Amino acid sequence: MTAKPLLATDRAALILQLVPYLIGKGEVSLAEAADEFEVSEAQMRAMVEKLTVIGLPGDGGFWQMANDLFDIDWDLLDEHGVISITNTVGLERTPRLTAREAAALLAGLQLAASLPGVGDSGVIHGLLAKLARGASGVPADLIVAPEAVDDVRVTVADALRERVAVSFTYKAPDAPVTTRTVDPVKVHIASGQWYLQGWCHLRQAMRTFHLDRVSEVRLTDIPITHAAERVPDLFEPSESDAVAEVRVRAAVVPLLADFLDRASVSESGDVRTARIRVADQRSLKRVAARHSGDVEVCAPEAARRAVASWAEAGLTQYR
Amino acid sequence: MSRVATEPTRIAPEERLVNLVVALLATEQGLTKDTILTSVSGYREQSEAGAGKDALEKMFERDKENLRGLGVPIETIGDYTDPDDLREARYRVPTSEYELPVDIDFTPAELAVLNLAGGVWSESSMSAQARSGLRKIRALGNDVDAPIIGYSPRINLREPAFAPLQRAMEQARVVEFDYLKAGEESPRRRRIHPLALLEYEGRWHLYGFDVDQAAERTFLLSRVSSDVQITRREFEPGLRDGAGERALRGLQEVAARQHALLEVTPGTEAALRLSRRATPAGQGITVPYVDVHVFADELASYGPEVRVVEPALLRDEVISRLERTLALHRDPTATTGDTLEEEDR
Repeated sequence: MTAKPLLATDRAALILQLVPYLIGKGEVSLAEAADEFEVSEAQMRAMVEKLTVIGLPGDGGFWQMANDLFDIDWDLLDEHGVISITNTVGLERTPRLTAREAAALLAGLQLAASLPGVGDSGVIHGLLAKLARGASGVPADLIVAPEAVDDVRVTVADALRERVAVSFTYKAPDAPVTTRTVDPVKVHIASGQWYLQGWCHLRQAMRTFHLDRVSEVRLTDIPITHAAERVPDLFEPSESDAVAEVRVRAAVVPLLADFLDRASVSESGDVRTARIRVADQRSLKRVAARHSGDVEVCAPEAARRAVASWAEAGLTQYR
Repeated sequence: MSRVATEPTRIAPEERLVNLVVALLATEQGLTKDTILTSVSGYREQSEAGAGKDALEKMFERDKENLRGLGVPIETIGDYTDPDDLREARYRVPTSEYELPVDIDFTPAELAVLNLAGGVWSESSMSAQARSGLRKIRALGNDVDAPIIGYSPRINLREPAFAPLQRAMEQARVVEFDYLKAGEESPRRRRIHPLALLEYEGRWHLYGFDVDQAAERTFLLSRVSSDVQITRREFEPGLRDGAGERALRGLQEVAARQHALLEVTPGTEAALRLSRRATPAGQGITVPYVDVHVFADELASYGPEVRVVEPALLRDEVISRLERTLALHRDPTATTGDTLEEEDR
């Protein structure tokens, strides 16, 4: 885990959370506590040491007495790297969630609600109420629009749960229709798009399928056998991918973040030139037409010509 | 035994902040500013070292602000004969508003779902907020079910306008920004009461009250073309109630009344993607849409696989996109491109 430098306010926030955590744990190793709070062990040790000089104000300007301060078992810390809190002077209960923490979780819950088997369990409803009640301020209203659940998504969810392969017809753009049998490993959901990653019996390898392109889906009775193999990141390019060169207007770069994620990009004024690996260079014509005027395919020449004919063929329909 | 620092060296600010919280939680009737500055460790040492009163009071004001930012509810009990006179004001943190309510507990199934929900943010600051919230909930010590595996839901967030808009919503403050409406030449300054942020069809929208147009409006965050400026003007916080629901309903109503008549080539990407949202209509399909420009972008990507029959505005938008694409790619580039094998995926 990489530990970032923290601001004083961040450190204060962590100390407020640390006390109830330590009380709950009884004894906990520096390593485990550091992991939970996403800091280094040295940072965790410093926080715990700091805690022992924190406490109630002294009476009438006198120095605080020892029992007015938090304290820990020093021997345990020094000899075994284990934290155990021995005296507390407040902060024993977990603080409320901030408005922003609650908002971040509430939005995530709305997305989780669209998953078959999660959203229909009644759990979400209770959680929404608890988070709203457990927040210290009114969370900003973040809404993730619900997605319609269809047969394909439900069947894929069933296959995941029952750990059997799923079989379907797949129509990738510009490719012939194929029938696939896939050991489902993971369903990725982003920006309303659903992707299934799994081991494809036809290609004998891990593959990613856009669920909008899946039809005639059914459960098989073939148990999953390849689920343990390494799953590449979504959109991870492979060595066999073609390299293309595109010119992109700087203003639209954020819109193309997924596409340009692993590109090597060079800047020249308002224009970014990117060399990217693409699994299928035929997809470039669609990208270029979607961002008309802002994305120019420069190479390979064949892909560039394909963009021109794509646009030309589209225009012919209107003449 | 505590290892108390023997010399009153500089006290770290986080130490002072936590000392202040402990002191304000411990008091029922509240502490005056004078008491705080002379007794709470972190202020006291500086008072004793002869720090100026103004500087100390400024530090206290900043600390209060920062702690409120962390969600610590610092209450000010004013002088009842003169509410504007804060010299005799007392400060406290009501325990019941600071702590998670005692009766909130999470079931193992709920915690499993929360863990999934907390992992959706791809953007780092929202992700840190979600993890911090989860950590507080975990500290309650409830048991958790086995993790929900097999799903990786993500919320993508790349618009820099999001964070300041969220902050302004929390504080019920008016924002100003430049907005480039699609189809217009130059951006226009907007003054908005931000009420809700919503992701709809994969795009983030701001729903708010436009002060100059005196009406509620929806904006695409990707078309905010300047920094978002949070002004000092506040708006009535009650306006936010139910705003997210209103915003969502608004977009759904737009989609319900705006639709396009399209002809698609069967078996193509366009047919697959569009028919999910479509109803059959004679020779073609009818597809609802929210934003003519966003929809035209999508339709242009399908090239010859789709033809817009109506409305005319959408047809013209698609035609002009295809013309721009063609113009940009008509001539060969000087670059020598390799010829590549097409790969069957």
